Amino acid sequence: MSPRAVSRGTTPRKTPRTDGLSRYLAERWRGIGLSLVVVVATLWLGATGQLGLYIHPRYFIFTTVMAGLGLVFVVASFAFRTRPADESRPAGRPTGDRTTAGRRALALGGSAALLTFAAVAVLGLPPATLTSATAIQREVNSGGLDSEAAAEEAADLVGTGDYDRLSVKEWVSLLAQSEDPALYADKTASITGFVLPDAADPDNVFYVARFVVTCCAVDAQPIGVAVYQPGWQASYDTDDWVQVSGTFMSNPSSRSADSLAVLPTTIEPVDQPSDPYVY
Amino acid sequence: MRRAPTGLILGVALVAAAFAIRAASPAFAGWGVPDRAQDTITLALSVIIESAPFVFLGILLSTVVQVWLPHGFITRFLPRQPLLRRACISLLGMFFPVCECGNVPLARGFMVGGFTVPESITFLLAAPILNPITIITTHQAFGWGDGILLTRIVAGFVIANVIGWLFSRHPNPDSLLTRTFSASCAVPGVSGHDNDQHEGHSHPPGARPGRIERSVDLFTRETAVIMPALFLGSLIAALTQVFVPRSVLLALGSNPVWSVLAMMALAFIVAVCSNVDAFFVLSFGSTFMPGGIASFLTFGAMIDVKMLALMRTTFTTRTLVQITALVALMSAAAGLLVNYVA
Repeated sequence: MSPRAVSRGTTPRKTPRTDGLSRYLAERWRGIGLSLVVVVATLWLGATGQLGLYIHPRYFIFTTVMAGLGLVFVVASFAFRTRPADESRPAGRPTGDRTTAGRRALALGGSAALLTFAAVAVLGLPPATLTSATAIQREVNSGGLDSEAAAEEAADLVGTGDYDRLSVKEWVSLLAQSEDPALYADKTASITGFVLPDAADPDNVFYVARFVVTCCAVDAQPIGVAVYQPGWQASYDTDDWVQVSGTFMSNPSSRSADSLAVLPTTIEPVDQPSDPYVY
Repeated sequence: MRRAPTGLILGVALVAAAFAIRAASPAFAGWGVPDRAQDTITLALSVIIESAPFVFLGILLSTVVQVWLPHGFITRFLPRQPLLRRACISLLGMFFPVCECGNVPLARGFMVGGFTVPESITFLLAAPILNPITIITTHQAFGWGDGILLTRIVAGFVIANVIGWLFSRHPNPDSLLTRTFSASCAVPGVSGHDNDQHEGHSHPPGARPGRIERSVDLFTRETAVIMPALFLGSLIAALTQVFVPRSVLLALGSNPVWSVLAMMALAFIVAVCSNVDAFFVLSFGSTFMPGGIASFLTFGAMIDVKMLALMRTTFTTRTLVQITALVALMSAAAGLLVNYVA
């Protein structure tokens, strides 16, 4: 539909032709625009190694391939332009009254607002991992681990005596199996995660936390190992990434729900890893 | 439809501009978005990036069915006995796994091609669940645990066939359709078959577009319907996750009855595509009872705000109210059965 065709169809009173044109514009560019935003964001995240901020690695190839196919169709949609099917409006329905005009304006405005929001949120904002706000909203260590598989993996690593290789996930899995202090007496933990205050005793205890992702970030569950360090807020902020080394002991905090906690020997600030989630 | 090289140039330029904005996005890191707003966007984007490939796949398969296969290719092999015929129709989704959005134009094409109204309803309700993509993704999310996948498959088959049978008893099934359905489609040009002219479409003789152009046109129209729903659904899901206290969900989720009703209400509002809804509801797996999850996966695949809007192009409001009530009752029954028996 060319601009000339638009002007030919314009009359003081809205006609079926202009009504069809409005619907055509709203329907056509809404889908193509949103698809464009999604496929570009997906391909860019894949190319820069950041898809893991949003989805599980098992979907990387499928997602990238389908985004590539989507990109082909999006570009083709610009190349093949259809006419608005203005003649197909059902007979007997008014097209130029205020109600119809209002709905049409609402549809156009809604489409424009949605496209603008999508462009800003999906393309404009830098990719980001989930923060402690979501971790606090979801109960830490309340789920997310395939306990059997994680416990087997942790047990294998414990068997080697190489405790430095145990991550937050393995330690949480072991602690879920047993909280007998004697079992952890001779073991030093060296774990990396973000700082998450213990809701029960935020002044003295924080978690070295990670999110476990099963399919995508929406199902992320926070897990963490408790660290006893009174006054930690003076040195670290919530959401800071740290590497904590220390030994396990009975948690001195009477309010914390965790019976064991790490007494840190060192707490080093570290950069957020490129793959912040665990699987 | 006509070729427009300037359109191709414009499209490539817009894609390049989008990549440029995306590449420059780290420079906007100092915008200082609050954590909760940032997490809302991250969560919504994760659902969109996870779901969009499946949506695209559904549209592409829908295009193959509607544009590239001969018209009537499917219906010629179906049995004539009504019950058996509807049972077979409810399994058609196994061969054509389009999502529920793509099923609406497909079902209209089936009716024009000889399906009765109850048969079309049976297909519409069953196909979103009884298709390989939905079954595989549900299995990836839940496995066979808690009977969630089995309940979804069995309930999907039973509900679709019971409702199809009930409407087959209607003295005048054609009255279930909107008056204008046979003369026009509220989503014009969706079907790519040669029967378009029967639906009031306006391709002049000798000017019919080729299959590739019709495929692209179908992609455009389908994404226009599905993508906004995907964005809004993802945003609502993210807002729910960030702002509704988990304690509220826990309180609802641990009750055998409330877990079912709350999850059905959530399914109706969120309107996530059945191909990927298992991923969405997975995060509620540790919060809600299995019956609530099963009800979400059964009811939401058949009925939601987006599907009702699409189905209204074909069926009367009265019919949709009846279908919704029946699906809700039977989905709730299935969920309660899981919670109390399984």
